[in-house]
Amino acid sequence: MVKLKSLLLGLMVIGAVAYFGGGGTFASFSAETTNPGSAIASGTLTMSDTVTSVGTCASTNAPTSNNFNSSTACPQMLNLTNIAPGVPSPTGSAEVTIQNTGSIDAAKLFLYAGSVQSSLTTALTGGASVSTLPIAALRGAVNKGDSIVVSYGTQSQTFVASAAVAGGATAIPVTAQNAVYAFPIDSSVQDSNGNSLFSNQLSTGLTSGASVSAFAVSSLSGAIASGDTLVLTSGSNTQTFVASAPALAGATSVSVSPQAANFSYPVGATFIDTVTRNTNCYDTKTATAGGSPSKGADLNFNPTVGNPSCGTLLLWVQETTGGKYYCWTGQGSSPESANGLCVVPISVHPSASISSGAKSTISLASVNGNIQNNDTLKIAEGTKSDTLTAGQVQRFATGVTSLTVSGTLANSYTTAAVITDTTAQGLLNSDQANTITNFDTAHNYQVGKIQLAPILTDGTTDTANPVQLSNGASRTFQIGVYMPAGSGIPQNFLQGLQSTFGLGWHIDQ
Amino acid sequence: MQAGGIYRRVRRASGRDSATWRMKQILATLIVIGGLSSLTAASTYALMNSEAGNPLSTASTGTLTLSNTVNAGTACFSYGAGSAGNSNPGCTALFTSTTLNYPGTPLTSKVQITDNGSIDASNLSVWMTGCSTVPTPGAPTPGGGNPCDAASGDNFALQETDLSGTPTFCWYPNFAAGACTLSAGTLGDFFTYVNSNSPYDLALTTPSGPAAGRSRYFSIVVQVPSGASNTLQGQAAVFGLTWHVDQ
Repeated sequence: MVKLKSLLLGLMVIGAVAYFGGGGTFASFSAETTNPGSAIASGTLTMSDTVTSVGTCASTNAPTSNNFNSSTACPQMLNLTNIAPGVPSPTGSAEVTIQNTGSIDAAKLFLYAGSVQSSLTTALTGGASVSTLPIAALRGAVNKGDSIVVSYGTQSQTFVASAAVAGGATAIPVTAQNAVYAFPIDSSVQDSNGNSLFSNQLSTGLTSGASVSAFAVSSLSGAIASGDTLVLTSGSNTQTFVASAPALAGATSVSVSPQAANFSYPVGATFIDTVTRNTNCYDTKTATAGGSPSKGADLNFNPTVGNPSCGTLLLWVQETTGGKYYCWTGQGSSPESANGLCVVPISVHPSASISSGAKSTISLASVNGNIQNNDTLKIAEGTKSDTLTAGQVQRFATGVTSLTVSGTLANSYTTAAVITDTTAQGLLNSDQANTITNFDTAHNYQVGKIQLAPILTDGTTDTANPVQLSNGASRTFQIGVYMPAGSGIPQNFLQGLQSTFGLGWHIDQ
Repeated sequence: MQAGGIYRRVRRASGRDSATWRMKQILATLIVIGGLSSLTAASTYALMNSEAGNPLSTASTGTLTLSNTVNAGTACFSYGAGSAGNSNPGCTALFTSTTLNYPGTPLTSKVQITDNGSIDASNLSVWMTGCSTVPTPGAPTPGGGNPCDAASGDNFALQETDLSGTPTFCWYPNFAAGACTLSAGTLGDFFTYVNSNSPYDLALTTPSGPAAGRSRYFSIVVQVPSGASNTLQGQAAVFGLTWHVDQ
């Protein structure tokens, strides 16, 4: 496209010179005036991304010198540890403020999942052959054959991954080619196939009617999780299998639940894992093995294949700009809740001791979630617990907040007691839709970016507004995660896993 | 003819019939195409944009795991070698058949159950995996009796203690603070009521722990009853206990 544009621009110039210049050969008379010294200054469209109490990141400070800053210098939203299913974290959300720091209004503001990306940790030498890209910990997984784009400023070059690489890796092997530019340290490295399905080809054909319990492949291009749906295709023939065991990238065999082949699929027939994607969110086992307490690396029942924690953790993005609320993702976003509130659990302390007896109000130290009217609130301390019923809607709030309730406490409580919203947790515990993995696959840089129209009133947006983030303006979001407790479902496989993920924000003129 | 020729030259020099007219048409078209492509396609890259991200957020789950230490032995972990899915059936036996038992002489094995994970356990339960009898290895004349008989078999007690071994609560056969009355219970009776279908919650309150990093201590006591018949001679009881914690 760039070459074509260059060609067309060149032709335009030639044409213009020939046309007008040619005209000069037969125009005998001429006159000319000049207005010198005119100056046209362009405005700026830049943004900052602030995580309250953590830090600020400016697009203008991008190490890649292109106004796109997704470096690790940008603030980390969440750093949650020791999460247990069904237990809301008292620090389970972060406040993020996006500001247009430029002089030009942004017509569009987008939110999406972080890309599968990283940055160079060693510069590439222009003209030298490159077979490995040395990178900072890879955010997401790369599949064999993915296109890996290295860019800095206006320079970019696309490599092809020659092997699959897991999240957190510090190098990507690529098919050797010469670097077209001396890409410096911190140049962006992005998997342009990130968040997409990956496919493989059979290295041994199947016989129609014969039972199939495994696919033979020369080298699996990405990891497959047990239970993944694999669709085998050859021409117009197709058959769906289910992986019966996890298979790591590079494996030469994929076990499937036995069934008879419905066609003699030849060598080269393609099968696609319709479930596992190389999303930006990836799981690793926590810490290193040994010592106490036990860590993920000690355990033998928590495989990371398929990123099960990413696929279980629920994500919400609750906008709170100017006291107006809108749920952009999470339970409450589709359909949008009438009052714009995501279902967000709370885990808060009373701001003062609470005596036993009938209650009409309680005082909370802060509210780190959303309480809906009539929600059941559990108050617990040590071996004591009681329930109350919320008598009002209460949204995210800092500082001491009075809450209208009804009910009678059998016990008294100190400020160490923990108050949770069991109604919200009940709704979230059965939620398998609003996971980080699903967000990554539905809303990423390639597809499905969420356009954040300004909030008109709670739960409604002004989609006709031509400006979504005016210069100097900012918008504020509460973002958090919750590990649901699957009712009756053993979740030991989620022990000791760390999910790493990111969000991207983008404005257009 | 001459005039016409001059006229044609004049027209061709400056108008639609000029020699360069077709070329100019082509070039003008190219200007338009080039201009359009430049201006319209350029809008996709000439417009300003800006981007920032919040990378590397992390959410880490904790662990809920058990260690099981018999007497002064080595800790056995729920996730250790031989385990599957955080359940380890291969921990140290409480007693061995080489430890001969005599009527009225109790044998005691101490068990330390520790939540060595990072998440508090809300509840600890136990159940007997089975109780069966076999001839004592090497016994010349097994009596043929059943030490797992609920009425006349071996006595059994499940005693909770503190770290020093001082009894704190008897879970079986009594259900009371302090020390157990060993003679009041049997292996068979315990198994009848406490098995995989009906685990025994070792809880006086909720949550009953152990909390992360904390332990609970138990003494498992068995005894051939003081008044045992000769049928229990040379007979071994084979049983196991499973310890379980929930978040």
